[in-house]
Amino acid sequence: MEKIALLSNVNVNFVSRKLKRSFEVYETEGYGNELGVLLDPGSSLKWFEPKAVFLLMDLAELLEHECRPEKGGEILDGWFDSLESAMEEKTLYFVSDGYLFSEERDVLSCALTAFQLENLYQERLQGLFERHGNVRVFPLRRLITGLGEERCFSWKTWYLGKILFSNELQDCIAQTVEKLMETEIRVPKKVLVLDLDNTLWGGLAGDYPAAELELSEDRRGLYYKNAQRVILKMKEAGVLLCIASKNNEEDVRRVFREHPHMVLSLEDFAAYRINWEPKDLNIREMAEELNLGLDSFVFWDDQPAEQALIRELIPEVEVPKFPEDPGEMCGALRKLYDDFFRKPRVTREDLEKTAAYAQNRERKKLEGSVRNFQEYLRNLKLCAERVDAAGHIDRLLQLLNKTNQFNLTTTRYDLAELEKRVRDPEQRVYLYRVEDRFGDYGLVAALMVDLHDVPAITDFVMSCRVMGKRVEYAIVSDVEEALRKEGKKELCASYLRTAKNAPVKDLFEQMGYELTAEEEGGKRYRISLQEREPREYFVTMKNDG
Amino acid sequence: MKEKIIEIITKILQVPEGTVTENTLAEDLDEWDSLAQVMIIGELEKTFQIHISMEQAMEIKGVADFLRLI
Repeated sequence: MEKIALLSNVNVNFVSRKLKRSFEVYETEGYGNELGVLLDPGSSLKWFEPKAVFLLMDLAELLEHECRPEKGGEILDGWFDSLESAMEEKTLYFVSDGYLFSEERDVLSCALTAFQLENLYQERLQGLFERHGNVRVFPLRRLITGLGEERCFSWKTWYLGKILFSNELQDCIAQTVEKLMETEIRVPKKVLVLDLDNTLWGGLAGDYPAAELELSEDRRGLYYKNAQRVILKMKEAGVLLCIASKNNEEDVRRVFREHPHMVLSLEDFAAYRINWEPKDLNIREMAEELNLGLDSFVFWDDQPAEQALIRELIPEVEVPKFPEDPGEMCGALRKLYDDFFRKPRVTREDLEKTAAYAQNRERKKLEGSVRNFQEYLRNLKLCAERVDAAGHIDRLLQLLNKTNQFNLTTTRYDLAELEKRVRDPEQRVYLYRVEDRFGDYGLVAALMVDLHDVPAITDFVMSCRVMGKRVEYAIVSDVEEALRKEGKKELCASYLRTAKNAPVKDLFEQMGYELTAEEEGGKRYRISLQEREPREYFVTMKNDG
Repeated sequence: MKEKIIEIITKILQVPEGTVTENTLAEDLDEWDSLAQVMIIGELEKTFQIHISMEQAMEIKGVADFLRLI
């Protein structure tokens, strides 16, 4: 039997007595000395070495009936500091949340003061919880509000023996202790596989929108909407959601996309199989995709035949009973969460897990659907436009001076030099705006040519936002074509190595330029403007000169 | 009434059914200590909407005393 200790500032010895059925329970030395017992290195509690300590605190007693928030805050600071200094790594601490109950409470001049005092306690508990991985919150407040004060507290037993909690509340506390300890020990499930029709909504996705689904803010539709809300919270608590549904995927996508009352979105699911294959195969596939064992799966489906199929063919998967009345669905889902998924603590990593799985899926999908690079580029619907450089001199300056990666020569300029260059008839400055179907990248590329002697590309820069899309091919081709029309026969180019511009070191080779010289610091090239090979790119040019 | 009272006392003491009868005294059962006594009083007050004064509570020695008071 696990060893536990119940400490309190009121008499909870009777709760300890109730728990002796299931645990080896520490025999308290009275009550109200919870800090002393914890702090004293020679106390019997230290010798007892409990796995878990439950601190069931009555807030009014803890505050010594102080009702002024400032004073109360000081008392609580002292208590929490002492508790924190007494805590040991190897022990779990279940600390009850704050609930203010006292004879004088309802005579406080402001009814909000009670909440204020409770919040002072709650904030400190939250801090303790965040700082220590071995702290848990004991939901005393939920037990009290669930039963109602009338059934929870007994003044008679309080005055007779400092027993504040009624027998009924003490029973609830004992059950909660048992449940929490079980949660602490068991291995929780990880994946909830959901059916869709008559599970996430009433009716059939295939009939929508011709026929309405039951999914709304009222009547039966609300059963399903609230069920989705419960499921979304499970996801946020770290449960991985999957779909196994017999449907046409496009019909389901339409519901997710168009139905105004959908709480869940497809992105909330770590994996899905929406097809007409048997569900056991789909579940096995998803287990493989997520790289998780089938024994971490729970299957939630309204169809008894599907439930039976999974129970029969994948006995490792848990298949809880689906309620016949959809009105009981939310309660059944909460129970399912408690029975299979609830963890002692929800960590940040849990919350980020679905996102990671979903991103992976998107990436895989892209690889699958885009057969090759060309098709990917074609789908982007890239478009480049040459604009008048003189009208955007500031942006040009910024591009030339800030670009490191896609910068062939990395010459830096000042404004005066650049203004001169833009006006010089022996120079050409080309500036480009680029966009694709996802949006406008703005002015992101510039190329400058010196026409003295043989024309030469002196500068070519492009923002890394448009790299890897062969926009550079389109730009160089555009410049070459413009020069050819001016009657130029040849074009030179160069690459000067820097610490950052390795990504473009072979750019001119790739575009069919002839290497004319290579030295330590860079390379020189040349191309004939009359006989150059066409390049493959998927950028539409709309030149306005 | 009598059955209900015995049932409540049995439940609080967590003893097998039949252990508590109308003649049972607190001193007959290890489980029936002062802590249990307080719990029994609290539970009977709640269930039967009655009031047992401190003085009366002190004098309760067994099931029969409860039966008389309620």
